Amino acid sequence: MVAQSKQSTLTTAGGNVPKAKISQHAGFLHGIRQWWPYYAMMAPGIIFFLIWHYVPIWEAKMAFEQVRIIPPNIWVGLKNFQALFSSPVFYQVLANTLIISGMKIIFVFPVPIMVALLLNEVRSGPLRQSIQSAIYLPHFLSWVVIAGVFVAFLSPTDGAAGQIARGVGLQPINYLTNTGTIRWVLVFTEIWRSAGWDSLLYLAAIISIDTQLYDAAEMDGANRWQKIWHVTLPGIVPTIATLFILNMGMFLSADLNQVINLQNDVNASTIDIIDTYVYRIGLTTGEYSLATAAGLFKAVIGMVLVLVSHLVSKRLTGKGVW
Amino acid sequence: MFGNSRRTPLERAESAIIISSLFLLVVFSLQPLLNLLALSLSDPAKVAGFSGLSIIPDGFSPDVWLLLLQHPNVQRGIFNSIWMTGASVLIGTLGTALMAWGMSRPKLPGRRIIFVLVLVTIVFEPGIIPDYFLMKHMGLLNNPWSVILYKAINAWYLIILIRFFEEIPEELLEAAELDGANPFQTFWMVVLPLARPALATIALFYLVFHWNEFFRAMIYLNDQTKWPLQVVLRQFVIGGDKVAIVGAENANNNIGIAQINIRALKAGMILITIVPILAIYPLILKFFTKGTMSGALKG
Repeated sequence: MVAQSKQSTLTTAGGNVPKAKISQHAGFLHGIRQWWPYYAMMAPGIIFFLIWHYVPIWEAKMAFEQVRIIPPNIWVGLKNFQALFSSPVFYQVLANTLIISGMKIIFVFPVPIMVALLLNEVRSGPLRQSIQSAIYLPHFLSWVVIAGVFVAFLSPTDGAAGQIARGVGLQPINYLTNTGTIRWVLVFTEIWRSAGWDSLLYLAAIISIDTQLYDAAEMDGANRWQKIWHVTLPGIVPTIATLFILNMGMFLSADLNQVINLQNDVNASTIDIIDTYVYRIGLTTGEYSLATAAGLFKAVIGMVLVLVSHLVSKRLTGKGVW
Repeated sequence: MFGNSRRTPLERAESAIIISSLFLLVVFSLQPLLNLLALSLSDPAKVAGFSGLSIIPDGFSPDVWLLLLQHPNVQRGIFNSIWMTGASVLIGTLGTALMAWGMSRPKLPGRRIIFVLVLVTIVFEPGIIPDYFLMKHMGLLNNPWSVILYKAINAWYLIILIRFFEEIPEELLEAAELDGANPFQTFWMVVLPLARPALATIALFYLVFHWNEFFRAMIYLNDQTKWPLQVVLRQFVIGGDKVAIVGAENANNNIGIAQINIRALKAGMILITIVPILAIYPLILKFFTKGTMSGALKG
């Protein structure tokens, strides 16, 4: 983004800025006078970012304080973090978060790639568009809706999953209340929600592959699978790498909205992630300082992960997070 | 189907496998929704044994939909969702466009600093408790505006619009200036009309995001009468709070809406919540798909 803007500085000019050389200081004042309409237009947005995104950073100092009912709060330094790091529950939710994110990287991430490869083999435009229209839909539904849909779908008594299980001679179980299966429910519902839509990014990359490469492969007598293996896949490797690295940057998130709607008393300990832990001890139990400390821990590690993934992605593929 | 008649049996078999895999994916994507639609439209007397695999209503009755749409909680939820989403979309789209326009001017003094200001918010999110205390200290708890303004300007959408505005040909802007237009007029009469497809895309993004938002409404709004539809749905379907929908008196005496099968009520409630998404889905396909295919979007 920044690199791109540098480039456009050379090619385009905005506003009627005089070309005469003026001193730095006078130039600055002159700039303000010239540019004030633009600042006026940006003001609501800038104020919004300052209040909605920067005041919370200031509020996060609570992580270093003891919150008292009657202000002011007392500064306690790292005491809340010590409490956090000596709590076994924290390690449990950290482990859950890492396991769930890991499972999603392994089992969810490759699916849209396969979907895109399959879609690319459909030559008929209308047929491909109909398939796309159907498989993109789940992406636009809220997790409340998706959880509601899958509570019905996975019901052992009258849901589709229960009936399929009985049909193949298995004893249906309640996947939502079983600690052994609930993480797989997260994987399964994430595939349902995102496999179709995420394939669009790969499909866009496939379409931009030079068709001459396919023609050359055909001349060499390559069949469908050889073309996929030797032309299509290498062509989308940069996109795969970029999206993989970006996914790694989100490793500590594991999707609050998904988990909070599929969590129940029975499965809670297996899929309790950092975000649901922060929510529970903060807004339900009222341990604001401890919750803020846990949130801040996630924010800082998350920041490092995003920055590292941005730099790695930029280095490897030329495309960063922004 | 694949438009080529000179195919060997092996190639035709491959094509059949590919098409059937995609067909399975289509079924997997739509069946759970169609099943609930069929369930909600079935004859209430026949719902008890309704198969989770079926997508055809067993008998037909609009009762579930009518009862739900007449329910005060549902009506309030729909009303709240519509006005809150509408306000968010208007404020968000206009605010994003105005800010993006300034930030897309390459010579704007301080452009770099503002960029960094925005990027920091993408990288560092202090979490829900500081957000909650911001609302508390601003006196916005239990006020719908806390939810309406949450992510009102999305940093990602802002970046997308900046990129779009950077592409606007300089000659057009200079022509407007020569005609004596001030920057506000240029923005209103030249930039916005040119950016209509991009603005529509951003507005749709905001619409889907805010319509689907439930978490902030759930933690900021105590008063049930202020809840958007997603939170009403969550209380009933996820929270299992049957009484909230059927009413204590009905539930105790098994009269009125309580006589309707709870599965069918939940199915109807889910479907009502996604009707607006289905209504704008053709537009979504048109704009989102195009936007993503042209590489304007990431993640």
